[in-house]
Amino acid sequence: MILKVLAIIPAYNEAGAIVQVISGIRQNVPEIDILVVNDGSLDETGIIADKAGAFVVNMPYNLGIGGAVQTGYIYALQNGYDAAVQVDGDGQHDPSFICRLLAPIEDGSADMVIGSRFKSSGEYKAPVMRKTGMLYFSSLVLLFSGLKIKDTTSGFRAVNRKIITYFSEHYPSDYPEVDVLVKLFRKRFRILELSVRMNQRINGKSSITPLRSAYYMIKVSLSLFIEAIRS
Amino acid sequence: MIINVYSISIFFGVAFLLSIIQLVRKNRMQEKYSILWILMSAILLILSSSPFFINTIAAWLDIKNPPSLLFLFGLVYLLVYNLHVTVVISKQSEKITRLTQEIALSKMK
Repeated sequence: MILKVLAIIPAYNEAGAIVQVISGIRQNVPEIDILVVNDGSLDETGIIADKAGAFVVNMPYNLGIGGAVQTGYIYALQNGYDAAVQVDGDGQHDPSFICRLLAPIEDGSADMVIGSRFKSSGEYKAPVMRKTGMLYFSSLVLLFSGLKIKDTTSGFRAVNRKIITYFSEHYPSDYPEVDVLVKLFRKRFRILELSVRMNQRINGKSSITPLRSAYYMIKVSLSLFIEAIRS
Repeated sequence: MIINVYSISIFFGVAFLLSIIQLVRKNRMQEKYSILWILMSAILLILSSSPFFINTIAAWLDIKNPPSLLFLFGLVYLLVYNLHVTVVISKQSEKITRLTQEIALSKMK
């Protein structure tokens, strides 16, 4: 790979999974740098990631996913990376797909590539509620941008330098994944979705509760609507 | 002194004005945020000082019970001020986020 690439791993209380995530990236793409954004974890995530040989930035308190990921993009911008790939700290994202996500960035055919859990293969089985939610988001994104993206909430994404620059200035503070798609589309960035395999999370559990999903859907709907009427 | 909505309003208006001035004096509120509050208590005082103002305005607006104008005024004012404060908070939380990120990154090097 000729590009200088940074893997950005947002992690909150991922002491049990972070080593595996780091070594997984190391094995598959040894040439890229790894930055763990330790978002105010209460466990040893930061220390463990540091021992595993990743760069670690420790947030002084839990900033939330948006602020944490953005910190990674600011780091990438300040340190002259050509591309960045976002990988979850819980082990859900299979690092063997990183190369495939980066390929369209490298040949310049896309500005952002999203690793989708159900673009083609039917392996991923989501609970009904989650499926409904994802369909809802896909439809909203289609409505507001015309983009046909199936896995709008996937946090497994690769971006080029242009988007690194954009993200370090503009990134939503909470539930950013869906939101940025419409933002990027309106800025005329090219977005591509590729199929990847997702693992079960190694440890910890999903932060989604019924009340939070309701807030999630309302918040995202509102941001997309506002984004659409923004000049 | 008769206790009615006017005298109570005057009392609260004065107490309020004094509290605000005290807060600013003790540097617990910035001058720029105190301006709207001082304005608010001044208007409240004027309105409640004599039934004349409030009766006249109520008559203009076709309000049957003049003192309810005081409540209407207070309510609208609080709504607007709350809105203003929310805008201030949003701006500040954005700044705090950026500061947090910059601090975390500079501690790294």
